[in-house]
Amino acid sequence: METALETIGLVKRFGGLLASNEVSLKVGQGEIRGLIGPNGAGKTTLVNLVTGVYRPDLGDIRLAGASLLGLGMHEIARRGLLRTFQVTRLFGGLTVRENLMTAFLARRHHASGGDALAQTARMLEITTLGPVADLPAKKLSGGQRAILQIACGFMIPGHCYVLDEPFAGINPVIKDAIIDLIEDVNRRHGATFLVVSHEMAVIRRLCPQVTVMMEGRVAAQGTLDEVARLPEVITGYLGKALE
Amino acid sequence: MYSTELFVQTFISGVMIGVLYALMALGITFIYSIMRMINWAMGEFYMVGSYLQYMLVVGLLGTDLWWLAIPMSVAGVFVMGIVVQWGLLKPVFTRPPESRDDYATVVTLALLLFLRSVATGLAGPYQFTPGSNLPVIMVGPMPLAGARVAAFLFALAALGLFYVLLRYTWYGLALRATAQSRVGVQTAGIDVLAVDRIAFGIGVALAGLAGALLAPVFLVYPTNGLITTMKGFEIVVIGGLGSIPGALVAGLLLGLIESFGAAFIDSSYQNVYGFILVLAILALRPSGLFGERGREA
Repeated sequence: METALETIGLVKRFGGLLASNEVSLKVGQGEIRGLIGPNGAGKTTLVNLVTGVYRPDLGDIRLAGASLLGLGMHEIARRGLLRTFQVTRLFGGLTVRENLMTAFLARRHHASGGDALAQTARMLEITTLGPVADLPAKKLSGGQRAILQIACGFMIPGHCYVLDEPFAGINPVIKDAIIDLIEDVNRRHGATFLVVSHEMAVIRRLCPQVTVMMEGRVAAQGTLDEVARLPEVITGYLGKALE
Repeated sequence: MYSTELFVQTFISGVMIGVLYALMALGITFIYSIMRMINWAMGEFYMVGSYLQYMLVVGLLGTDLWWLAIPMSVAGVFVMGIVVQWGLLKPVFTRPPESRDDYATVVTLALLLFLRSVATGLAGPYQFTPGSNLPVIMVGPMPLAGARVAAFLFALAALGLFYVLLRYTWYGLALRATAQSRVGVQTAGIDVLAVDRIAFGIGVALAGLAGALLAPVFLVYPTNGLITTMKGFEIVVIGGLGSIPGALVAGLLLGLIESFGAAFIDSSYQNVYGFILVLAILALRPSGLFGERGREA
């Protein structure tokens, strides 16, 4: 399997805190990988390093073999490595429709307005956000915001998605809708996913392989059931063995 | 003595000057809403606009072609804004955001002094006027200075253009999205520094337009941007920083209050009436008429 996303010995230090301690991982093309670990393990730091929010002190990040070092956030997005945030970053004052349009035109601004409108209409239908299409995004519920944020990333299929806690605090119906969207984009476009989540049920359903981070480093990798049996994962994260 | 005619005339002249003040305020608030910084050199872009207008009219086109000089002056100020963003502000914005406004303040204050000195150095401390051969226009029995009416109409057209750009174009969508979240647009794949460049250019071009339009009325000299900039900031306080509707409404309000104060109370205190309004707003509604509450410093 070809490697879609690879990090090589990523080091990031914030003052005295070693937030990322030589993190190396490979996510295969078309894989949906889970990224789990206790709070403060460095998961979000890794997401921010990979997507250009932070520059690593050492190490390299590669998307389909090409280094992303030194690229700005927007350049990384244009190469098709897209992300969502734990706290949604929508354009609160713009309508749902305008949020989707912005996501489309940001990466394809030579497209005709008609293309953008057609894809927006399609996405509104898939996400069932149609009835709220002309409301400002800040009026949406938490779940609606989460699905809108993901839908923005799917307006133009990317190569690789890094989703930071896409299921936190969301009702089961919308959770299912988001899982369906992820699986659909994965199946039809072969997109790769790295999904940060604490929800073991979702991770089990979505991710054949998981990577466990603890204290800024990769602690384990394997299927969820394999890593859940490891004593250090149980004591350091899960607390008790999964049923 | 308080006739209907006087009332109507006062109202009209208040609206006419209010729209021009609103241009300045709109420039300040627009740049702030995109870049989260105050451009303290706004009045100097006004000043440059007025000098360009003067030079084009007197040196090249002649008084009859003043209307052609306006877009040329505005374009000149727009290009200058783009150069300033690229050369002076972009380096500040590629650094971590902690003390960005402090740097931006220092940079734009330095620019203010620099541009005034250049104007004084090149043209001296003298007052110039491009003149105007526009006839006095009669609205019923009331005479209105042609230059002011023309300035008003040009300003209205510019505001309309600005609205269309913001509302109905892809650039407008990118600008509005950037005002909502700078991180969000970058995540979507938009080069936020390129958006800044356009925004800064447009923002200062609005000041340049005011300068070019008011050149025959308020004259051309190195510090002529001072008064209109002050009005611009008054309007921003009244309307709420970062609010475009606030800038328009407060601009009209300030124009009307000055005009009525001058006509019905005492014209020598014309510049004071606005400050009374500012004080009242600060006391009653510190975030301004349209401002968001609890904005972080």
